Amino acid sequence: MKRIVTWLVLLLASSAAARAQDIKIPLDVEKLSAKAKETVEVTMDGPMLRWASKFLSADDPEDQEAAKLVANLKGIYVRHFEFDEEGAYTAAEVEALRSQIRGPGWSRVVGVRSQDEENVDVFFKLENDKMAGIVIIAAEPKELTFVNIVGPIDLDQLADLGGQFGVPKLNPKSLPKPQTKAQPGEHK
Amino acid sequence: MNFDKDTNRMEDALKNALRRREAPEGFADRVLTRVAERSSATPVVLRHQSWLRLFAQPLVRGAAATAVCAALVVGGIHYRNVQREHAEGKAAKQQLILALRIAGSKLQLAKSKINEINVNHVPADQTGNQEEKE
Repeated sequence: MKRIVTWLVLLLASSAAARAQDIKIPLDVEKLSAKAKETVEVTMDGPMLRWASKFLSADDPEDQEAAKLVANLKGIYVRHFEFDEEGAYTAAEVEALRSQIRGPGWSRVVGVRSQDEENVDVFFKLENDKMAGIVIIAAEPKELTFVNIVGPIDLDQLADLGGQFGVPKLNPKSLPKPQTKAQPGEHK
Repeated sequence: MNFDKDTNRMEDALKNALRRREAPEGFADRVLTRVAERSSATPVVLRHQSWLRLFAQPLVRGAAATAVCAALVVGGIHYRNVQREHAEGKAAKQQLILALRIAGSKLQLAKSKINEINVNHVPADQTGNQEEKE
């Protein structure tokens, strides 16, 4: 009887984990790291997030912000590639990423296509009218970024974190470059 | 007769020798003090000796050395594990912060693109309205 219960618990846990990251990063995109100058790969599921949160300092304001953000998250998955030259990835590879986010509950809330080829897509997942996840796909000439955050998140707070701490502290090479102001007339 | 006299004299001498005499003054105190002194000093030495006597046996010595070595090894492994866990935790935290920064910066990028589009479109609309009014 105990065995059956254990198996059931394991089955439920694995299915919950599978649901948490129901978006799979295509193999072609994963292979881009071979071409990339810099690759950032972050795969953190719920327990890993909880564990990492324990090391966030209560004295550091940045850490405190991060702790608030991740308090209710179930996972964070990031792939960020920086290339030496333009055209290191194809539109098909980006489309393969986008095609992953077609499931029920997902809706594209932002889709920017600009002439300077800085294209950004933001998808929200809603469950019972509540934010249950966000996916950001940013395709820039020399960068490709895929972010999947599973769970409710305060977008303003997250954007603040990106803006407020735009100056890289950890590894300057692996962080995205500061945004340059696009000239008028560049948008499609 | 002489024999009897000698016997009596001997008896008297014996009686005299075996006569009860009072102990000198303070004798009992001195004895008790000495006993107390000895009883307080001796057991510690004996106790020490009894412990040390255990280690006189090679088997016990070897076992003690092994136990100390095992404790050191276990302690060392535990310390290293704690240190490794701490280092891994710090690395995980940095990864988390990095992931949030990347996500935040890309969200900012999307926001700035939308703002740019709004800025470029609003004046055009306003100009269109003005033209209509004219």
